[in-house]
Amino acid sequence: MKRGLLLLSLAALAACAPKRVHEEPILENGDRVPGAEGTVASVQGRAAVEREEAMAERDSLTAEALADCVPSVCAAIARGEVALGMDETQVLAATATTPDAWSIRQAGRAAVMVPAGWRARPHDAAGELAMVQFRDGRVSMVSYRDAQGVRVIDDAQDATTAGRADAMAERLIREGDEFAARGDLDRALDRYDRASVLRAGDPLLDYRIATVLDKQLRPIEALIRYRLFLHRLELEKIEAVGDAYAKLADAIAHARERVIILEKNGR
Amino acid sequence: MFIASNFALSRPIRLALIAGLAAAPLACGGKRVSRIEPTAVTDLSGRWNDTDSRLVANALIEQSLTGAWVSRYAAAHGGEPPRVIVGTFENRTMEHIPVGTFVRDLERAFVNSGMVRVVASSDERQEVRAERQDQQEHARADTRAQLGQELGAKYMLQGVLQAIEDEEGRERVIFYQVDATLVDLETNEKVWVGQHEIKKYIERSRFGW
Repeated sequence: MKRGLLLLSLAALAACAPKRVHEEPILENGDRVPGAEGTVASVQGRAAVEREEAMAERDSLTAEALADCVPSVCAAIARGEVALGMDETQVLAATATTPDAWSIRQAGRAAVMVPAGWRARPHDAAGELAMVQFRDGRVSMVSYRDAQGVRVIDDAQDATTAGRADAMAERLIREGDEFAARGDLDRALDRYDRASVLRAGDPLLDYRIATVLDKQLRPIEALIRYRLFLHRLELEKIEAVGDAYAKLADAIAHARERVIILEKNGR
Repeated sequence: MFIASNFALSRPIRLALIAGLAAAPLACGGKRVSRIEPTAVTDLSGRWNDTDSRLVANALIEQSLTGAWVSRYAAAHGGEPPRVIVGTFENRTMEHIPVGTFVRDLERAFVNSGMVRVVASSDERQEVRAERQDQQEHARADTRAQLGQELGAKYMLQGVLQAIEDEEGRERVIFYQVDATLVDLETNEKVWVGQHEIKKYIERSRFGW
């Protein structure tokens, strides 16, 4: 009886014990784990061949691109910038890419080059290219992907530093307007402030800043901005010009009204 | 008579003397040091060791260099290799694990393969910048390192090492997982994710020390 109980309790203990692991080891003491030199060597060989091929293709494209370019296009290729008036080869040379990086579609006289994949985005010296459009084989429009959206260049003026600054200011103002519409006045003011650096002397921008400051109950700063707005408009000239600034009539009237009120409250 | 009585030692003292004499040759044995092949697997405690570091390095090198991210970048940049900066590899295990060993292996493979360009990390470049600044004042003009010529990295390599342990009686299982990620510095996009897992089964002998 006692022996039976003992056996039973031993069996119960064995049942409670965790299951043993029976797995064959894949590495044991004394085995060898070689380094990755083999992988590196094979990749190295392949990389050298690919790089040489890519460089040869790129060099021949550049030579072809520079063979018959006008001075302004040649200078743009040397700077690594896509310029209006370039042909397809010249765009490839300016972006130091090969046709593999692009998806090129043609429709009649128009053609468009877009990055081949969303993960591999070609750049030129000015930024990341979103699209290059051609008309009769020549670049008619270049689009860049910027922090504030897509910047389009379809005029020689747009490609200059001033043109680029103006385009960026435009997008910042648009962003500021969206924040203002959502009631996020701090962010709206931030965007307007940034835009005012890029587009100095824009009276409408001053008016926007003044309005936001006024809404934020910052009367002294708002007053300064309203005055600046009115000053910039050079009201005497406007009266002489007549309708030239007619679209700003409401803004002018509002600014004048606010100046009077704020001055009165300030006293 | 006097001498004889002195040598008539009691039984416990005699036993102790015998045990002492028996242990003497062991004490003379001392330490044994030998150089062994660095690639040899030498598991002593079951904790993280050089073999684990090598296994992780090999796996990450294989995965990263054969990944599509390198060729994609090269295709979009006229065959130029991507530029990578090594960021932080976190050790989230309870063990002290020098992650630098396999990170350096990975860095070495990047550089030697020629497929990836590696730029100095934030810690490393401080010394280089200090030297460059010093050259501006003291070095001859034609040998001076120019300012503003640093290469900006396109991707940052980051990683994390985690472990899960299970123990019962004389048995223990440790599972290590190493995750490495390459993040686009402009877009925060993860362009490559590598992973290696190691599972160890440790069984202590019943009569061991």
